[in-house]
Amino acid sequence: MDIIEVSIVGVGAFLAICMFTTLYGKSNPLYALAEESYIGFGTGLTIVINLLFIYKTGILGIQAGDWLLSFGIILGIMVLARIVPKYSYIARVPIAIAIGAQFGLALRTEIFTGFLDQIRSTIFPLLTGDAMTLLNRWTIALSVIFMLSFFFYTTELKGPLRWSARIGEYAMYVAFGGIFAQTFMGRLSLFVGFMQNYTVPPWKIPYLLGSLIIVFAAVIILDRAKLLEKLTPEE
Amino acid sequence: MTEQKTEKRSIYRMLVEYDRRIIYLFIFVLILAPLMQPFSLPIQVSPGTMTYYNVLNGLKKDDVVLVVFDTEFSGYMEIQSGILASIKMMFEHEVKVAIAVAHPEATGIPQLVFDQLKGVMDQHHYIYGQNYINLGYIFPNSASVASTAQDFHSIVRQDAYGRSIEGTFLDNVNTWKDWTLISVYTTGIQSGSIINHYGLRGTPIIVNCIGVMISTQQPYLSSGIYKALLESMRGGAELEYLTSSPGPGLTAMNSFTLGHYMLIIAIILGNIGYFGYRSEMSRKAKEER
Repeated sequence: MDIIEVSIVGVGAFLAICMFTTLYGKSNPLYALAEESYIGFGTGLTIVINLLFIYKTGILGIQAGDWLLSFGIILGIMVLARIVPKYSYIARVPIAIAIGAQFGLALRTEIFTGFLDQIRSTIFPLLTGDAMTLLNRWTIALSVIFMLSFFFYTTELKGPLRWSARIGEYAMYVAFGGIFAQTFMGRLSLFVGFMQNYTVPPWKIPYLLGSLIIVFAAVIILDRAKLLEKLTPEE
Repeated sequence: MTEQKTEKRSIYRMLVEYDRRIIYLFIFVLILAPLMQPFSLPIQVSPGTMTYYNVLNGLKKDDVVLVVFDTEFSGYMEIQSGILASIKMMFEHEVKVAIAVAHPEATGIPQLVFDQLKGVMDQHHYIYGQNYINLGYIFPNSASVASTAQDFHSIVRQDAYGRSIEGTFLDNVNTWKDWTLISVYTTGIQSGSIINHYGLRGTPIIVNCIGVMISTQQPYLSSGIYKALLESMRGGAELEYLTSSPGPGLTAMNSFTLGHYMLIIAIILGNIGYFGYRSEMSRKAKEER
């Protein structure tokens, strides 16, 4: 490990633990410091990487003789007109073109991937296959029907329709439970991933524990001294 | 006497109104302890991971795979086990790998992966440009994804380091048809565009997504657009287990399991507190009447 790696781990662990101080339940200057640092870093990185992208795809493309790309560059420059209020209307043209193109690209394809293919995937043989496959397929097929009947808003739900909607409602509760568990797993994975990054290899552990102790102690001391909110910069 | 009774029942109230920071503290300790003192808990491989493994195992020498890092750096922490185990398998099968990035924060990830898999790359004589390439940030939006699917070289002329991609194995890649497989590691930034412009046309896609995305990605697996889906860090750990290459996934599974036990206990205690406190209150109301 060299000094650069150590400083990256040290600063990273400290700022990350500062971010976690939001769990303390009160706004505090350490969280604000970490938040502003992240915003600054993120913005800077995004600007540089995107400028590089424009250079590599746009400028190099024009130099290679693809003159059509110059329209893209001109449209991009027109967006900057938003900075000057008097000429801000010019920015509407490239934004309208971008939205239109994006809409066209998505609409042409989304209808298949997000709609038709999804319907097609719920249409399968319900009488062939082993017991487990049949159970899965029947569960999916019936759940789709029951849940759809729950969303009949223009008809009074009575008789068999009422029961169908009721079963659909309970099936949804089961699904919500599954999604909640999956979300917890996802959030926990993010947290475990972060912790792992600062515990493996073991030489990083003192930096993590040191940051934890320093930040935790600082927050408690500032809270006791009633300085937490006073020292937090206003949004 | 009545005061004594209230004192006794107040455990329910405590369970309902305890400081939530206690839970955060417990989670911190439960996650951190197994990472500092690892121990081994059993792991099972799910059928989804087995399918993912089989797709990667079916790759042949000189197949061309597009690896897409469609993630922020925070997401990388969660799916790094899947990324490392998958790309290691690709290198072991000696396929040609092109890495593309779909988020500015992910531009540093390819180098991290190369550094960690240096041993396997050296073992299989991987040479930059001939066997693998880092294209950098080429997928900022769906228009760029659509363009590369139709004419790859129309917008990709240089790699991440500013060197021309002419003369590399990408000379043989022109459209979506030329990729044997697309392997996406995603937090959901451009995965929709890759589905729409590559998957819909027929390029095989496998995906390793973060946990909160699993339910939204499952329909694409059911509809056949994805050939396989590796679920979060758990899937990564299972892949490490299948490939007999323990890494960050397997070591994180203990923390993961303890975190889940913690949630189950918290739900049980919360419910005991809720129902206990409710019955306590109704009993109290009856007594007052």
